[in-house]
Amino acid sequence: MCETCGCGKPDEFKIHDHNHDHSHEHEHDGHWHSHPHDHAHPPKKVIALNLDILSENNRLAERNRGYFEAKEVLCLNLVSSPGSGKTSILEKTIQALIPSRRIFVIEGDQQTARDADRIEKSGAPAIQINTGSGCHLDANMVHLALKKLEVENHSILFIENVGNLVCPALFDLGEKKRVVVISVTEGDDKPLKYPYMFQSADLCIINKTDLLPYVDFSVESAKNYAKQLNPKLEFILMSAKTGEGMPLWFDWLGKQS
Amino acid sequence: MHELSLATDVINLVTEEAKKNGVSLVREILIEVGDLSGVEADAFQWALELLIKETILKDAEVRLLRTPGTGFCKACEREFEMRNRLDICPRCGSFPSEIRGGQEFRVVSMTGE
Repeated sequence: MCETCGCGKPDEFKIHDHNHDHSHEHEHDGHWHSHPHDHAHPPKKVIALNLDILSENNRLAERNRGYFEAKEVLCLNLVSSPGSGKTSILEKTIQALIPSRRIFVIEGDQQTARDADRIEKSGAPAIQINTGSGCHLDANMVHLALKKLEVENHSILFIENVGNLVCPALFDLGEKKRVVVISVTEGDDKPLKYPYMFQSADLCIINKTDLLPYVDFSVESAKNYAKQLNPKLEFILMSAKTGEGMPLWFDWLGKQS
Repeated sequence: MHELSLATDVINLVTEEAKKNGVSLVREILIEVGDLSGVEADAFQWALELLIKETILKDAEVRLLRTPGTGFCKACEREFEMRNRLDICPRCGSFPSEIRGGQEFRVVSMTGE
């Protein structure tokens, strides 16, 4: 019905950006009549925003970063596809370093607390974040986890991100360095397929090197592809199973803090 | 599917700005999505249109402004259209090039009343 006078004809007058007077004719109770009316439409406003959509996450990430710096905590964000061995690397790292360093872990998975249980068994306090249907951790999830974990000064905090080489790339968590893990059972062209992650990482661990004799993975190709994207990327060849490369990893950790 | 959580961020940002500016109904939002931003524009638009239904953005038209990727070749000191991050310079074949455009992901404006 006519929203102007309520008399049953479709309103011909759509939204305007200004106040105005107007009249119209239409049939009313079997007869035609015309009538004027004055009315004010709400002004339509165009508001320039220019807001970076990731700005809220980035703001929270900076807050986390400030917290880590104040407590002299070395925070590292571990990213990879599922099954590359992140949790095994952490277990071995904790077992080797725990006498001399305090280590804390935030575990991100869609479901279950299995990884946090594994980490706790290896000797480090851990907290599990289940993202449910979510595909990545964000800075706010880390902030909330930190309130519960009570990370000690001068410790190392590992954040094991959800196994996914796509989504976590965009979300800064406040880490000092980002570590991307690939394993030799994956394709050596992974860097080309997931460029955002390799461009945003500081260190690339190539894990499961004990399996190199049995797979077609070329370490040289993987490194070259990754360096094309990120010339500053560092590499460590590792087998969390045999311990190969672990001393290099511990040296790298030592240099960061 | 980080597009879903990014769409939620957009709704929060725009709702807050609408309140600040005395807007009770948002008619249009314009969002710039660069081709090299890491955001899949179609998935993002789909997620946003799905999530705005119960918000003050429910009648808003979602408009995406796509920005093509721009690379800058340091060897020939000229810009070129970069379709992906590993593109070499089409003139001299140099690599890598600096990314100068296409990484934008921002709410440009909203129209409301």
